[in-house]
Amino acid sequence: MQVQKAVITAASPSQNTLPLQQLVDRRGDVKTALQLIVEETLAAGVEEICVIIRPGDQEAYEQAAGTHLGSIEFVEQPEPKGYADAIHQAKAFVGNHPFLHLVGDHLYLSSTEVPCAKQLIQIANEFECSVSAVQSTRENKLPYFGIVSGPLVPRRNDVYEVECVVEKPTPTFAEQELVTPGLRAGHYLGFFGMHVLTSEVMTAIEQLLAEPSAEKATLSDALAILSSRQRYLAYQVDGTRYNLGLTYGLLNAQLAIGLSGKDRDQILTELVELLASRTEGERVK
Amino acid sequence: MNRLIEIIQSDEDSVRDQSLESVCGNATLDQLLGHASELDAFRRQESNLYRRVRALFFMSAIYRYHLPSQLPVRQTGHIPFEGYEHLLSRRFKEAIDCFLAAQTTDGPSDALASALAQAYHQLGFQTLADQVRHSVRTVRGNQWMFRVGHPDDHPLRIRPELTQVDPATNTTPLLKETTAVRMDFSHSAWSDIFFLGMDFPEGARVLNVSVDLGVRGRDSQTKPPIETYLRVIDEPVIRLASVDLGATTRLESISDTFDFARDYLGLLKAALIASGIVPPGLEGCRESIADLLGVMLGPGRGLELVSKINDIPKGSRLAVSTNLLGSLISILMRATGQVQSLTGSLGENDRRLVAARAILGEWIGGSGGGWQDSGGVWPGIKLICGTTAEKGDPEFGISRGRLMPIHHVLDHETISDETREKIQKSLVLVHGGMAQNVGPILEMVTEHYLLRSKKEWDGRKEAMEILDEVVDALKAGDIKRVGDVTTRNFEGPLQTIIPWATNRFTDALIEQCRDAYGDKFWGFWMLGGMAGGGMGFIFDPKVKDEAQQWLGQRMLQTKKTLATSLPFAMDPVVYDFSINDKGTSSELLTGKSAMLPDRYYALVLPSLLRTPLRDLSLRTRSELERISERCRHHESGSDTAGLLLGSVLPSISTDVQKESSLQKVLSEIGFDREQHEQIRADLLSGRIGLSQNRLPANTMIEDVQPGQVVELREGIETKYVDLGKKAIQDGSVAVVTLAAGVGSRWTEGAGVCKALHPFSRFAGRHRSFMEVHLAKNRAITAKHGGRIPHVFTTSHLTDQPIREFLDRNDFFGFGGDVIVSTGRSVGLRMIPTVRDLRFLWEETSQQILDEQQQKVRESARTALIDWAKSAGEASDYTDNVPSQCIHPVGHWYEVPNLLRSGVLKQLIDREKHLRYLMLHNIDTLGANVDPGVLGRHIDGGTTLSFEVITRRLEDRGGGLAMVNGHPRLVEGLAMPNEEIEFELPFYNTMNTWIDIDGLLKTFGLTRADLSNQQRVDEAVRKMALRLPTYITLKDVKKRWGNAQEDVFPVAQFEKLWGDMTALPEVSCAFFAVPLRRGQQLKAQAQLDPWKRDGSADYIDSLCKW
Repeated sequence: MQVQKAVITAASPSQNTLPLQQLVDRRGDVKTALQLIVEETLAAGVEEICVIIRPGDQEAYEQAAGTHLGSIEFVEQPEPKGYADAIHQAKAFVGNHPFLHLVGDHLYLSSTEVPCAKQLIQIANEFECSVSAVQSTRENKLPYFGIVSGPLVPRRNDVYEVECVVEKPTPTFAEQELVTPGLRAGHYLGFFGMHVLTSEVMTAIEQLLAEPSAEKATLSDALAILSSRQRYLAYQVDGTRYNLGLTYGLLNAQLAIGLSGKDRDQILTELVELLASRTEGERVK
Repeated sequence: MNRLIEIIQSDEDSVRDQSLESVCGNATLDQLLGHASELDAFRRQESNLYRRVRALFFMSAIYRYHLPSQLPVRQTGHIPFEGYEHLLSRRFKEAIDCFLAAQTTDGPSDALASALAQAYHQLGFQTLADQVRHSVRTVRGNQWMFRVGHPDDHPLRIRPELTQVDPATNTTPLLKETTAVRMDFSHSAWSDIFFLGMDFPEGARVLNVSVDLGVRGRDSQTKPPIETYLRVIDEPVIRLASVDLGATTRLESISDTFDFARDYLGLLKAALIASGIVPPGLEGCRESIADLLGVMLGPGRGLELVSKINDIPKGSRLAVSTNLLGSLISILMRATGQVQSLTGSLGENDRRLVAARAILGEWIGGSGGGWQDSGGVWPGIKLICGTTAEKGDPEFGISRGRLMPIHHVLDHETISDETREKIQKSLVLVHGGMAQNVGPILEMVTEHYLLRSKKEWDGRKEAMEILDEVVDALKAGDIKRVGDVTTRNFEGPLQTIIPWATNRFTDALIEQCRDAYGDKFWGFWMLGGMAGGGMGFIFDPKVKDEAQQWLGQRMLQTKKTLATSLPFAMDPVVYDFSINDKGTSSELLTGKSAMLPDRYYALVLPSLLRTPLRDLSLRTRSELERISERCRHHESGSDTAGLLLGSVLPSISTDVQKESSLQKVLSEIGFDREQHEQIRADLLSGRIGLSQNRLPANTMIEDVQPGQVVELREGIETKYVDLGKKAIQDGSVAVVTLAAGVGSRWTEGAGVCKALHPFSRFAGRHRSFMEVHLAKNRAITAKHGGRIPHVFTTSHLTDQPIREFLDRNDFFGFGGDVIVSTGRSVGLRMIPTVRDLRFLWEETSQQILDEQQQKVRESARTALIDWAKSAGEASDYTDNVPSQCIHPVGHWYEVPNLLRSGVLKQLIDREKHLRYLMLHNIDTLGANVDPGVLGRHIDGGTTLSFEVITRRLEDRGGGLAMVNGHPRLVEGLAMPNEEIEFELPFYNTMNTWIDIDGLLKTFGLTRADLSNQQRVDEAVRKMALRLPTYITLKDVKKRWGNAQEDVFPVAQFEKLWGDMTALPEVSCAFFAVPLRRGQQLKAQAQLDPWKRDGSADYIDSLCKW
């Protein structure tokens, strides 16, 4: 399976400015979050990129894309109808091809030489099916993620055959239905914000959008349908994701990138200085 | 292999279901000890929990029922105090080791056997409780709650629908859940006890139905009795309110949630915990509720949870509290998305989840219920069955069955609409007014089940068949047969297994129904664990309406005649009911309709009105506006307005009336105000009190020497028997039965006349203590001739009921030979001092309870100390009905009362030969005028002869001892330390033989002086001064609301008869008599072993009915 296209969603009304934030990358260059995400995609060998944005955001995004502007096509989501609908906007862009999907408010840091997106694409190539990147997630984070469960693929310790996908389950439900062998108690396979999907997912989304529902359809809902129609795997990525949308999310992401780059010593020195000069008494009660 | 171990280990039903009796029935002492020691070795190495438990119960039964009768008559044994301490601290294994070591060195004895029986029994129940707790925690979906250790880790979020503020009214939506209660057709002999279902899933089946209720004459229509409400509020706290109990509270810290007994809202707190809002893993966490709510709801927001049960009284046997818990848990789980649907009914999976959490909640709240109890969460009629544990279940490999049963809802084809209609048209559902604790009954059932005695095991099998018959009859639509079968169930297997499931009240009602309606009375239906509270009576639909009316009146009348002998918590009521086909269901009320019930506003209005309007939030102000609008509504407005006005305006206080009637009672009965004030002053200054009851620490207390006890256990020589017989024939003896007490322990403070309590069936019906004593008197005179006058000494509390009872029964044919001696002394109870409360709870040995119950108890104790402080230490206890505020002042006064009231003179005048009295407690059932013992007393020539027995573990409260070289009886209260009591092998039975002239002489009187009231009074007063005054704390119940009861420890003073032995001029003898002669029934939990070990039959053999 050849993955040549990527879809990045950045249309969520509360998170549309996150990809525009500036960070310093491992080499010490100042880049926007969008640039970093696009670089992750390019490093995986995917060169056709579609970014789903809110109407009116294009100009800011074009600026933020910097040198990569040439490989990006912008598509607007006319109304904020949810995550699944946002992906569906890229239907024409992906056509019948499988595609890599990343969320615009996450940054990824691989623990190996191979970038996260590349790891995922390798698995998709090997198994010839849709694969979602997942990571072990503690139950107190359940309100933030889609969760999958299923048995390990024989002779692999990082690839799971997905049987169940649920968006933000309660711990009660998770404990009853989503326990995955091999994980610590109270830990589940949570989405990493990175997927390789076949175009079949668009059909599943269309089915969801056709149903009248009070709640906005999520990608998890679509993936639940997908898993019943074709093989669908989850891959436990060797890396870490940073959600920029959380409180101090951007700071955490920057620290993580910085500490794994060339300015590690400088950052550590400054941190130590901070620790030494800020006293207990200055903490805001 | 040992046969008992074979029985325990076998997979074959025919072997496994054999009873202990089949092996131990005729065993010798050595064989029994052999069995016990092999079983003990077996339980130590056996890993299977249920086998271990059965071995423990076998050993307990061997030591309690089989071994004592094989012991030599003249044995005495000591219970090591160390073992007793282990027992109290729930270190059962250590206690057993200690008792077994004593048995090895000293040889077996009755005392040690009683201690071992108790230790094995408690270890058995502890093991079972631990297992259930473990299973509840490991149910999938419950585990995560024990892992959450900090509010920041809270993984639940409120559903967004509940936080959306309506712009017009400024209010958040109100989630309302309505839930039915459950009524069980049959529980296959209490098979819904967790242990039973987990060990014997095949036998665990219940048929129950969800019902809506209305109180006849009060409610115009039936509705789901349980309503719970939840909404998001604009203050970061959790507010709880119970409309029925009139209680509200604000939880501001997480630890408040775990403080169950601080107020009446323990159940709501248990629901918060079990639903995961405040997960149990947070216990001990010191953070604030605001932190937790910030994570779950967002900053600045809180929750309000309100419960309402439509005033259904406690003890309805309809599992109101479990279903209320279920309703609360359901509403909280809906709000946090843990169950699928926010509104409407629940799906099967969700109902199971709610039920599992309700079980958890009951455990957390320290209460217990059966697994069928959350039946009201399910709709309609359902068959609930235990199920075998399969691979993957947490129970697999531990128990045969699963903790959670499976519910099969029976559809409208299986049981037709017509049949459902017929049930409603035939069944009269009532609350008899008794609210009793079912706990002891459930323990008895478990024990009987594990022992598998033939009669009871056959009963269980029959009960299982009866359930099938009920189902068949319902399928066939034959309600008459249903009535027939449920009656058979009640009168057959249920009472075979637990005779205490019924009582005189219930039996009397059934009898009256049969008499009045003949074959139009189709049957009786026991609900829940026992009869007396909620009950069903099935009538021919043609007469049902009339019968319903009639039954309401008859219950009231019957209650009136039994009100002083049985613990009624309220007047009986009749319900209207209908089958509920929804189970639990919810709706989301928004905007103007998001209003709570009127009574909620009546509850919170006073505090809202005290707050200046500008300080109230916009939301609260808007709510107040809508209440005012509701008041103006032309139809229901005046009711609402009346209710609200009632809550803020003062009403005529009934307290003043109560107080004045108490004062009236006190003045009528000659209450000694001067003495009372003296006691108060002494109590406050610390001159008297619990710690001052004790003899000085330098007192030498030792066991008596053999010669100081007259041994009567191996039989009495004929010459004494003849002497006694002659005295009986000559009319030289009379009986004095002490009947002044209200049985504080017997009814746990309910304040009924213990003498009149129909505690057990003899010769076909329930008989009271008084009837038993008279029947023994009758048997003695029938055998030996003569007449024995029988005096019952009463107190103000028991005098009237006893006289009425005797009148009603025509003095049981005794005519003038039964005399009531009216007590002349009463005391007024006082609020205890904090010092005494602390002494009682901290300085004296107390049985530690199971982990969670102990926490609840400690929280209650803190509340009681606050109560004592705020009510005023040593001030008069007047906040209750008068009969609960005054107290009898100890049995010492009862004998002088005979002198003062003229009863003794009356006796002497009538019976010229009268020389002796036999005095005994109301609960010493074996005491009778035994000619041998009487002869021995006559021959001895002492003034007083006391009967003592060898001590068992439960016989606490003093005994016979050498005190500074002088043999006397020492009260338990007076022991310088508790350990000493365990070195005294003889326990005081209080049975006393009195030489009348000797006694008069002690008081400085002669027979002639008895007509001189002034001299008698003086003599009594003088004697009273020489005897110590003890302060005791007794539990009294205060009843309020709908059969709600609070228990308060109150202080009272007593002088005790046994202290007569301390007077040097009184000559005393001590007779060691057989155990059964002196055994006392102090608590109702003793009844079952008392019946099983043959004591009841023994008592029956002493009686002539």
